[in-house]
Amino acid sequence: MPRPEAYPSLGRRILHRVWGFLASIETCAWLSLAFCLAGAAGSVTMGRYPGLFGDMDAGAFADWFARKGFLDPAPTSWLYGLLLATALLAANTACCTADRLVRLFRGAFPARRLLPHVMHAAFLCVLLACLAGSLYGDRIPGVSVPRGMFAPVGGTGWVLRLDRFEGGPPLPGYPMGPAASVTLFRDTTPLARGVVRANAPLFHAGYGIYLKKYGTTRWGVPYAVFDVNRDPAAPAALAAALLFTAANLLYLIPSRRSDA
Amino acid sequence: MSAVQLLLFWMSFAAYAAEAVLRLVGASRATGGKTPLFAGALLHAGFLGMRWGIEGHAPMAGLFESLTVYSFCCAVAGLLLLGNAETESAWKPMSVLVLLPQAAAALLDKRLVPLSPELSTPWFASHVGFSLLGYGFFTAGLALGGVYLLRGGEPVYRAAGKSALYGFTAFSGGMLCGGIWAYYAWGSYWIWTPKEIGSAIVWVYFAALTHLKFLPSQTGWPGWTKRVEMGATAAGYAVVLLVFPGVSLLLRSSHSF
Repeated sequence: MPRPEAYPSLGRRILHRVWGFLASIETCAWLSLAFCLAGAAGSVTMGRYPGLFGDMDAGAFADWFARKGFLDPAPTSWLYGLLLATALLAANTACCTADRLVRLFRGAFPARRLLPHVMHAAFLCVLLACLAGSLYGDRIPGVSVPRGMFAPVGGTGWVLRLDRFEGGPPLPGYPMGPAASVTLFRDTTPLARGVVRANAPLFHAGYGIYLKKYGTTRWGVPYAVFDVNRDPAAPAALAAALLFTAANLLYLIPSRRSDA
Repeated sequence: MSAVQLLLFWMSFAAYAAEAVLRLVGASRATGGKTPLFAGALLHAGFLGMRWGIEGHAPMAGLFESLTVYSFCCAVAGLLLLGNAETESAWKPMSVLVLLPQAAAALLDKRLVPLSPELSTPWFASHVGFSLLGYGFFTAGLALGGVYLLRGGEPVYRAAGKSALYGFTAFSGGMLCGGIWAYYAWGSYWIWTPKEIGSAIVWVYFAALTHLKFLPSQTGWPGWTKRVEMGATAAGYAVVLLVFPGVSLLLRSSHSF
């Protein structure tokens, strides 16, 4: 007479198979291939539909997706594929790590075998940070301010003043480029003041003010155009990426002695 | 000073060419420090160091400098991975793969270029340097993967595995530095352009490749044998070509300054 557990229920068998599929490295290989193919299709398609994809970075990704993600399914199909492959890769990574960690903790194991799973966890944290930034980030593009004038900064309630603009050619050896001195106000109270230039934004309350373009108005007054962005999950993404790098480097050390 | 650095460039080119010719005619079986490739890499390092000093920034701006640094990274990867007699068979393709970008660079304008303000940051050297080092290891993967497919050999297989792992590590470092730089330059560590998507493709491809060795061999398609893994390692070079020169030259890119 066979024991009852020798015949697991249909539900358990399905669950077991789904778990096996999601935790499998073979699934990882196929999902990665799907990601690469969808991404390659997207790289080509984006340039052909500038009206559709040209403003993807003008706002938080979730806002763009809500506006344009379902407008034209054919040229955006690569994006559905890319997002689906990414989501399944995240599930695959989580299941793989959970599956292996249970086995690892049941027996004695070298600490080095944990490192790939630290990298998996860090990868998942980066993906979650990207998701959070896409949902809760804020991007205010094209804040254009002539010198000495003010411009409202989206829905923040702030006003940006361009105090001074130096847009001359960079000095040899000191390629700092154009520099915009700005002051950020709420009503008449100054909140922050600084010089914005390439690679040097002004940060205030989680927002960064970035110099994007500059020129001269038809009346001869210099003006500058700023993007104002906030990504609440960026520090978390950086911390996770640093953790990934540290685990990756530690993984290399023994591999130099005993092969990768 | 400018003439000296160009002389070093041409001498390293000559050394790489000598290495490739000697390998192709079967006149050399030396490895490591006894090869013209090693001498070429030393001369090449001297050229890059001198140019860095003259320009005041990392010599990685423009197509000429990108190609010659890529060639140098290929040479470094080859010397690190093919350092013993057991992997000697991969030196022939590797010497050609080192020579090709250097030869392409030799055809281009070699004038010193001032750095645009956008590139004037330490993240530029780290992002581009790590990325090109990753590409160098991935290129070594083509030589090693190809040789394994033709002749087999466990040392070649292990060296090819290292090429993927080391390249992935270097490329991940490049992505990290690029992400930090992008956050300071554009206000986001990720933007939707073909170059960024291409970088993600390279990263995911080689991340998956480092996992393949853990798959048990199976019968039936695709089998997940060492040959499949080595085929994917060699094919990684095509992915690199599509993203490194391909996207930058053929598509509108966020990396055009």
